[in-house]
Amino acid sequence: MFTILVEKELKAILQSPKFVATFGVCSLLILLSVFIGIQEYHASVDQYETATQLVDQSLAEATSFFAMDNTVYRKPSPMQIFVSGVSFDVGRLSKISSREDVKLEQSLYSESPLFAVFRFVDFTFIVQVVLSLFAILFTFDAINGERERGTLKLALSNAIPRGQYLFAKFVGSWLGLTIPLLIPILIGVLLLMVLNVPMTGDDWAKLVALIGVSILYFTFFIALSLLVSSLTKRSSVSFLVLLVVWIMLVLIVPRGATMAAGQLVSVPTVAENESQKDRFRTDQQQLIREWRQEAWKNRFSALEGASREERRAYYDANKDEWDQEDRDVREEMELSVTEFNRKLNEDLRNAKLEQERLAFILSRFSPSSAYQLTAMNLGGTNTSIKKRYEDQMFAYRESFSSYLKTKQEEERAERRRQARQSASGGRMIMFLGSGGEAVDTSDMPKFVDPVESLSAVLKPSMIDFGLLSVFTVLAFAGAFVAFIRYDVR
Amino acid sequence: MEESNRMEEGTSAARNEAPLLEADGLTKVYEDGTLGLNKVSFTVHPGEIYAMLGGNGAGKTTTINLFLNFIEPTEGEARVDGIVTHKEPLKAKERLAFVSENVMLYPNFTAIQNLDFFAKLGGKKDYSKDDYRDVLMRVGLEEVAHSRRLKGYSKGMRQKCGIAIAILKDAPAILLDEPTAGLDPKAGREFIKLLEDLRSEQKAILMSTHDIFRAKDVADTIGIMNLGELVMQRSAEELRGEDLEKLYVQYMAGYMEKTPESVPHEEEPAIS
Repeated sequence: MFTILVEKELKAILQSPKFVATFGVCSLLILLSVFIGIQEYHASVDQYETATQLVDQSLAEATSFFAMDNTVYRKPSPMQIFVSGVSFDVGRLSKISSREDVKLEQSLYSESPLFAVFRFVDFTFIVQVVLSLFAILFTFDAINGERERGTLKLALSNAIPRGQYLFAKFVGSWLGLTIPLLIPILIGVLLLMVLNVPMTGDDWAKLVALIGVSILYFTFFIALSLLVSSLTKRSSVSFLVLLVVWIMLVLIVPRGATMAAGQLVSVPTVAENESQKDRFRTDQQQLIREWRQEAWKNRFSALEGASREERRAYYDANKDEWDQEDRDVREEMELSVTEFNRKLNEDLRNAKLEQERLAFILSRFSPSSAYQLTAMNLGGTNTSIKKRYEDQMFAYRESFSSYLKTKQEEERAERRRQARQSASGGRMIMFLGSGGEAVDTSDMPKFVDPVESLSAVLKPSMIDFGLLSVFTVLAFAGAFVAFIRYDVR
Repeated sequence: MEESNRMEEGTSAARNEAPLLEADGLTKVYEDGTLGLNKVSFTVHPGEIYAMLGGNGAGKTTTINLFLNFIEPTEGEARVDGIVTHKEPLKAKERLAFVSENVMLYPNFTAIQNLDFFAKLGGKKDYSKDDYRDVLMRVGLEEVAHSRRLKGYSKGMRQKCGIAIAILKDAPAILLDEPTAGLDPKAGREFIKLLEDLRSEQKAILMSTHDIFRAKDVADTIGIMNLGELVMQRSAEELRGEDLEKLYVQYMAGYMEKTPESVPHEEEPAIS
């Protein structure tokens, strides 16, 4: 009996003219999004490789470790083909310098705001918006439509338990809608191989999990439609109700949650943050100026009344020590500025994380948000991408700065040695960095992109996966209870 | 005259057997207090056609819904082959076929696909396409229409498909809710012939209808219902020579004068 009902559902869906049209549009959208995503990915890989080569080349050609700047780039991930997430909003590069903060800048959307207007139509967007509507379009009248046609009465005049009838409807609709959609998805996956997208084993596993969670999200909307269809008598009413629910779940709740979190947790603006940093640096510089004035006064206080030669000899004798003293104080100031900036950045980041955490908790009342969050998590394009890269870049800046410091010390010593040689041999001093030989940067630390392991990605995804499962089970259980009590007349 | 005698013999022979359909003090009061049915009792034996006549809201469809357990009785019982429908609904439904008024069926399926689905649902899995074609021909649906999708069908053609579905189930009892609605006069006559055939196959048929003339032509027993009560029940034999239309109007009018507007009820019943 169950198989007969499932078969009928499959036939009813596949023979419906609206299925052919809708399936065609959805398939085209999925394939186009994957194809364009692959093209976009290849373009960004080319851009990334060119930019990193240019940086490597300029570092290799540098003639001094002083004033040496480095720039690191964020490596594009193949998963962004399916889940662009925030990868186009987050900057693609950061300067690495002991004098500047790590700051990801030049995002794709900041460079091409046109794309930011309508955003990138990726696989996740299609599932989240288009396929959820597709599920509603085919199941909004699953029960009340049968009632309107008189077929519910006719079917239930046979010895069929209502629970079995409903479950068969659910399974039939699910199979009838999911299996055909797997075809363009699998063709999209084939495109990855044909167009040489370098997917790792972990990437494939993440992609399989993404497809799985997409199907679960799609299943939720089928169960929801069954529920609403079992609670209403007319299909026109269930369609309107589902449309309103869809707007709430897909458009309003996620945005509302973000706005509510913004109101509940205040985060200083970037401008406020920058002005605080500038103020602190200016104060520190003023302190140094005052210290130097005082220091110079003290250094020559013992020489009052001394001749110019004595003063000159005193200066020459103490110059290195004083220079060192000045450098130490300057370094100390730089350290305190860096520490202050780090703390400020940390506070800002913590406030942002708190706001983000609250927004995510509130938005998870919508299965649409739960799906988006888990998809972005699986794709590695969630909001933590910025933190992951910035953490890695901070760590890299430490090692790069310490490398530079060592190399600059060596270079300074070499300058002194050369200066002494030229003084004794009468040779001309050649200023470093002004046309000399390139310095050896072969032992310079290299930036390594942060990689999220499969288990690190799957663990947080389980929360949203679990939530989506709970939403689906609740919707189906609700539909079951409503249908058992449904007035078929 | 000969045919009439044969019918009477058949009917009296049938009445010796246990009834297949029994309404025993069936009462239905809806949640809002509306009286649907008030202590309705009748029986339909194998080989008997029982026609329920009455206006809109008389309780004809409510009676059929109680036999199908689409609603539960407030009092009394509906029994199919001795099985109480609200206690063992699935078992009772195995013995019932049903033709509803204005059934649309599945518009994207052909007549044969519709028949195939409902026949299988009724537990008949061995029918071939030829069997479906035969039964469609029997209900008067032209062969050219058998493989067409139902969305192009007229109301009458869909009704014929509904009747074919009931025939295919081959159940001992058949419930017909306004089966002639939408049928043209020719199709109506064919339908009467079909009912006579089913009676000769010893089916117990309960039919609700507005159509007094067809009811008189084919029914062995006629019940007139008004405001949820069975106000008259007579056999075809008793009605011979009577003007049923006049009788119907008189009963309706007379009953309306003496019947109270509602029947008090003690507690709100649960609606299934």
